[in-house]
Amino acid sequence: MLLPAVLAGIAARLVRTALLLTLPIAVSVLVVNLFFYPAGREILFAIGPVRATAEGLAFALETLARIGAISGAITLFYLTTPAGDLVLDLERRGVSPRIAFVVLAAVQTVPALVERAVAITEAQRARGLDTEGSLRRRLRGVLPLAGPVLLGSITEVEERTMALEARGFTRPGRRTLLWHPPDSGRQAAARWLLVGAIPLLLAARAFGWLGWLG
Amino acid sequence: MPELAMESVVHVYERGSVRALDGVSLRISAGERVALIGQNGSGKTTLVRHLNGLLRPTSGRVSLDGRDAALMRVAQLARSVGLVFQDPDRQIFAGSVAAEVEFGPRNLGFRDAELRGAVDDALAAVGLAAESRTNPYDLGASRRKLLALASVLAMRTPVLVMDEPTTGQDQRGVATVRGVIEGAHAAGRTVIAISHDMEFVASAFDRVVVMGAGRVVGDGPPASVFAAASWEMLRSTYLEPPMAARAGERLGLGSTPTDDSLISALVRTG
Amino acid sequence: MLTFESVSYRYAGAARPSLQDVSLVIGSGEVVGLVGASEAGKTTLCLVAAGLAPRTVRGTLSGRILLDGTDMAPLAIHELAGRVGIAFANPATQLSGVAGTVYEEVAFGPMNLGLPRSEVIDRTDAALRALKIIDLAEREPALLSGGQQQLVAMAGLLALGPAHLVLDEPTAQLDPAGTRLVAQALARLAMDGASILVAEQKTDLLASICDRVVVLDAGRVALDGPAAEVLGDPRLADLGVAAPASVRLRRLADAAGASPATLSHLDGALALEATT
Repeated sequence: MLLPAVLAGIAARLVRTALLLTLPIAVSVLVVNLFFYPAGREILFAIGPVRATAEGLAFALETLARIGAISGAITLFYLTTPAGDLVLDLERRGVSPRIAFVVLAAVQTVPALVERAVAITEAQRARGLDTEGSLRRRLRGVLPLAGPVLLGSITEVEERTMALEARGFTRPGRRTLLWHPPDSGRQAAARWLLVGAIPLLLAARAFGWLGWLG
Repeated sequence: MPELAMESVVHVYERGSVRALDGVSLRISAGERVALIGQNGSGKTTLVRHLNGLLRPTSGRVSLDGRDAALMRVAQLARSVGLVFQDPDRQIFAGSVAAEVEFGPRNLGFRDAELRGAVDDALAAVGLAAESRTNPYDLGASRRKLLALASVLAMRTPVLVMDEPTTGQDQRGVATVRGVIEGAHAAGRTVIAISHDMEFVASAFDRVVVMGAGRVVGDGPPASVFAAASWEMLRSTYLEPPMAARAGERLGLGSTPTDDSLISALVRTG
Repeated sequence: MLTFESVSYRYAGAARPSLQDVSLVIGSGEVVGLVGASEAGKTTLCLVAAGLAPRTVRGTLSGRILLDGTDMAPLAIHELAGRVGIAFANPATQLSGVAGTVYEEVAFGPMNLGLPRSEVIDRTDAALRALKIIDLAEREPALLSGGQQQLVAMAGLLALGPAHLVLDEPTAQLDPAGTRLVAQALARLAMDGASILVAEQKTDLLASICDRVVVLDAGRVALDGPAAEVLGDPRLADLGVAAPASVRLRRLADAAGASPATLSHLDGALALEATT
């Protein structure tokens, strides 16, 4: 996992992000297993009534390694794959454009919604709504701010839907894609290699080959 | 004492590092009717947002009756400068027309008889007196726009600023807006409006300020801003003078920015 | 050709119909203007013409709408997409919301129709050129100004290349320069054979591009005829429509007692100004 990360130039980011993600769970795994592992015999040190055991430490480290592998893999995927590319590629392979739309629009709606909320806030401030005063005063502003945001969003959705339909969005069948993320023979080969390795690794685990991997 | 003054105001939006205002200096006296014209992107909207503090200058100064606007919160400035936005659906939240109009004056501290009077006067001015209990969304889009205008009128601010008040209005709606401007002017209020409607600008305002690329490129009464000598300046900002001005020029009648001035000139010369 | 045969339309839950017994024809290559007071039914007529009412916007339609001679009723919305295009006054809601660049936004329609890639590209390029927004091609649509967004929406419509276009106050948010661009684009489309229905308050604009003008009053057709005739009709004022500047000035001069010679000089000047 670190090899592709280094190749993509994001090794440092990967480690940082993955660590951040797993920090809470890592701490709890470590503490719980270090001090409360039931099969623990060899005592390393004690803090008051609780004892840290070597077996507990070993188990904790093993679990942490697994968690690290999973979170690292997910983070690697997230850091190297732009959402737009992923969705387009899925569409190229036959996923419905509507799903693509839902994913992409969700991302793109946020700035539009923020812009709308800002415009509404400005209009209400221009009518004397105090957004800089006491908390109580600011709470009074919730309805005049939330109201038009919600109402307007609903009416906007109506018009948006009409515009999309009028531009053929609901037409069944594939749509032409202008471009898709580039793929190469080597990349495809690498993917198949990895897929093929899964049964091998499973077998290795099951039959105890390469014991240190298990 | 000038009511509003902007001194060398520069405004740069962080997002695009675009100089929306590039050194604007402007003085507007109490009671003036000023139209602000210019191409989309020329800085008109940015300028008016400085008048009530929604935007603060990156450099330069905005003052109200000599006091620095930077020292006042938007809610305070709203007592002096009422700004009506272009899209009424980005402000309407109340269940009835009356409640919507009440919001502004109530925020400013109006109560009881004073509040009722302000609301009634504003509704009457825009022709919505009969609709006070109606749900705003049962009104058509153009009447909702008039509702937004009423909601700021009711605040009785000495300065009234409107962003594109006649866009989307039919003939009756435009006549209503003209009536509002006349009424405000008669009451001694200062009126400032952004508009693309040159006919409306030439006939309803005493002064026209032309914006181009964040600067003031023209400033004067309609007769001079729409006179032939200014056409090159207007065209450089992609604007056209009103038809009356153009026809008058072709007929050699001098500067006739409004219908009335053209007709009088025509009749005079026989 | 788009034909309305005694069309009435009532929105779901509405007490009264918004359109009553409307009959009109928009021929190919014709630009027909639609005017009327604020709640006269212009938007409803546009929605019905584009087939969005009663499909997406619920309501009851009586009468028939014919698209090139055949009844529109059995067609689904996506079947109408390549044949009737519609533009609204609010540009923000017309953006697809999934395009990262203006180019992709304009290409959205042709992409949806499943046209060959090269054709999608050709149409998109042509549309951007026609509306003079090639320099906006790589920009994010959501970050553009309202006027720019409207031009992008129009380009998107052009790229779809429908034979029939319905536009509901397309220049509402545009400055004079943008309005001119849209007017030129519409004129060009009509020359290519499209039938165009454009609802507007700006009668000066309609005077310059329309062959015919239809006036709606409380959901009914009040006037329907050649543009110059209808826009010069004295009844317009009662119908809540402002006459174009040249008509208005001519009338004022006449009322003020200008001599026939003066009036004809004025006519000449107004005619010259209208064409520049």
